[in-house]
Amino acid sequence: MADEDTIELVREIDVDKYKYGFETDIESDFAPKGLNEDTVRFISAKKGEPSWMLEWRLEAYRRWLNMEEPKWAKVHYPPIDFQAIYYYAAPKSQAAPKSLDEIDPKLLETYAKLGIPLKEQEILAGVRKQGEPSRLDDAIGSEYASGKVAVDAVFDSVSVVTTFKDELAKHGVIFCSMSEAVREHPELVKQYLGSVVPQGDNYYAALNSAVFSDGSFVYVPPGVRCPMELSTYFRMNAKNTGQFERTLIIADKGAYVSYLEGCTAPTRDESQLHAAVVELISHENAEIKYSTVQNWYPGDKEGKGGVYNFVTKRGDCRGHHSKISWTQVETGSAITWKYPSVLLRGDHSRGEFYSIAISNGRQQVDSGTKMIHLGKNTSSRIVSKGIAAGRSDNTYRGLVSAHRKALNARNFTQCDSLLIGDKCGAHTVPYIESKTSTAQFEHEATTSKISDDQMFYCRSRGLSQEEAVALIVNGFVRDVLQQLPMEFMAETQKLIGISLEGSVG
Amino acid sequence: MNVMTTMTPAEQALGLTLPNRREEEWKWTDLRRFVERPYGAVVPADRKAVERLLAQSPFAGLKGPRLVIANGVVDEKLSRLAGVKLAKGAAAVAHEDVLLSLNNKLGVAGATLTFEGAVDQPVVIVFVTTGENSAVASRLHLDVAEGASASVIEVHLGEGAYLHNPVVSASIGKGARLDRVKVEQEASSAQHLSHLIATLGANAILNDFTLTAGAALSRQNVNVDFTGKGSNLRVNGSYLLTDSQHADTRLIVDHKVPHCTSRELFKCVMAEKARGVFQGKVIVRPDAQKTDGKQSSHALLLSETAEFDAKPELEIYADDVICGHGTTCGDLDHDHLFYLRSRGIPEAEARSLLVQAFLAEAIEAVENEQVREVLTEMIVERLV
Repeated sequence: MADEDTIELVREIDVDKYKYGFETDIESDFAPKGLNEDTVRFISAKKGEPSWMLEWRLEAYRRWLNMEEPKWAKVHYPPIDFQAIYYYAAPKSQAAPKSLDEIDPKLLETYAKLGIPLKEQEILAGVRKQGEPSRLDDAIGSEYASGKVAVDAVFDSVSVVTTFKDELAKHGVIFCSMSEAVREHPELVKQYLGSVVPQGDNYYAALNSAVFSDGSFVYVPPGVRCPMELSTYFRMNAKNTGQFERTLIIADKGAYVSYLEGCTAPTRDESQLHAAVVELISHENAEIKYSTVQNWYPGDKEGKGGVYNFVTKRGDCRGHHSKISWTQVETGSAITWKYPSVLLRGDHSRGEFYSIAISNGRQQVDSGTKMIHLGKNTSSRIVSKGIAAGRSDNTYRGLVSAHRKALNARNFTQCDSLLIGDKCGAHTVPYIESKTSTAQFEHEATTSKISDDQMFYCRSRGLSQEEAVALIVNGFVRDVLQQLPMEFMAETQKLIGISLEGSVG
Repeated sequence: MNVMTTMTPAEQALGLTLPNRREEEWKWTDLRRFVERPYGAVVPADRKAVERLLAQSPFAGLKGPRLVIANGVVDEKLSRLAGVKLAKGAAAVAHEDVLLSLNNKLGVAGATLTFEGAVDQPVVIVFVTTGENSAVASRLHLDVAEGASASVIEVHLGEGAYLHNPVVSASIGKGARLDRVKVEQEASSAQHLSHLIATLGANAILNDFTLTAGAALSRQNVNVDFTGKGSNLRVNGSYLLTDSQHADTRLIVDHKVPHCTSRELFKCVMAEKARGVFQGKVIVRPDAQKTDGKQSSHALLLSETAEFDAKPELEIYADDVICGHGTTCGDLDHDHLFYLRSRGIPEAEARSLLVQAFLAEAIEAVENEQVREVLTEMIVERLV
């Protein structure tokens, strides 16, 4: 039972509950500290980029200079000194690894510690050890054991390894690091980069456009159903660095792809900046499923350190009958500022957003989604579950809008918040804009706590207080959990338990 | 972002800068663009026009006490103040807001109504504004003493293209009750910028209903603060907008103390190119445990060019609470329409019936049957 796992895991962790808080001692290549045009040129040169790419970056940088930091979110943090950050850090030992053997063993160790199944055999075996019967198998069936996941691992600023490339290539699927895509598939990058999130979209997107170092690139050709889950793991390691990755996923006509993203960072007293941009493009009849488990270092109990997660994620349903689905589990980061959105441009296109945001300690979450209905007969669905504990603040902020020509647009939104303790806050800030009478929007939000009745019932059945909370919370987020790919579902249930540790009693 | 901009002629005339859509609360109602007429000073009300408008008032038939405020000044001759305690001047209010600043800037003496004991008949308060091109402020304070119960009906009428800025404050004492009905039926080219600030003591009740039907622009700010335990609040509203009318209600319910209940229900109907906005916010402060708050806003768009924007907000800092909000927006249900038509009811009538039914839920909160009937009649008249 997943809840037992949760309790077990919580028990295993002694002092520091953030288990990914270690730092890997690895030699890194840094760009000079601070940000100016030379930094941008340095990064571009390091990546061996063509001149059009450099120009694109410089354009973004110039725009960024004239922009102001957004202040509207319900988050508070000391001003960020953008000149005190290293904008580029790369593990030194490898230039361009051909296979896993060439990679610094320390790196592999790191990934092993993170529980990332990089090596093929491990992937085939899932997370269980060889020859050992797994509880996971029982929980989620045998599909998982045979399922393959192609992984792109990004360490600080560079992508260190991408697995299963050859097999994907057989199907015509391109899955590589962003820098490789710029070199190998310039025509695709030129066509799509910045077409959903332009350089000057917002402050952090502009910053990212100027200094993004790596990220993943996926292209699924027409009519192809990507044969396996694609996955990226982001790891922020070096001190005083910012991580700026850029992900671009294109599903051509009739294609399908499911993509997973996971993130962690070491425990540090200083805060680190993470400003990523993700662009999804879904053509006619195509579908993209994007899942994130975000577990950046949240800072300690007093709110010291932690990652500032300022991310721009946007999907574009460009063709008719296209679909984009975002699923996110947010447990980490000191501050989260993230609104995965969908532009529903094609007729009959569909957008979905499923989110679990858990905040504890002094975490601040301001997250939500935007569903912009532009095409006819478009539909969208939003299910957001926020759980606030400790002294945290958890805000849902979302927009649903229908333009005049978005005939028969349909939206359903449900935002539920659960408060654990009386020192935290849960807020809901939805915006609804309907410019046509044929649109039908429904929105509902509730805020509640775990009721004494629920607690009493569980306790009377012999569950301990922590077990009872884990059970009830897992039930609360069930609607969203079910949207996660199998691989993530079990992990997430555990993560929820860990994130809420110490929040009751 | 402190960009210095030159004041528009309208702003210069009013003597203050108006908020624009870059300010969160004015996102959908860019006051700077709406108020483009450089309004002049208040002129004494045209007596004949006032009498004519009073006769047309939907509540002209009610025989009880009546207070007439014409162009911001109490008209004692037209008022019937038997049994009503009226005093000059109105207590200052603690909120900071551009509509209050405007009220202070325009300057008005104001009046205070004090209620003690139980009042059996509602007091009709008629705000009449006349005069082309003038900016008129009104100021009224309702003081409902401990244990008292009061009922008021606020009617806003007028003639001409004017700006009316009424500020009404209400303090509802311990165990007291106030029933308030507001009918905003300003002249079709008028601009109505109102603010209601209500404070509830312990075990108090406020039951409020607003019908927004008049004015080209209607912006209504409402602040309700709970300051004593065990109080009960109901704020309902209906919009009945057409042509290019624009109405925006910004409602903030602040639960500062535990054990209070609040209910808000807004039913908005927009036809033609009308635009309705509802911004409701429920704040539950850290100590306000056992709060029970529920907010709903529903919109009916009767034409493809009508628009509805909503921002129902919850800001909650206490854990032992039940809070929720719901918003829906759409067209008349085609099945309902089909059903009525299949029973031989002509389309226009069927539509009118459905709109009435839609609005009825919000009006139900009005407990005085006579008043409820007048409101229903007004709606039926407008829908025909």
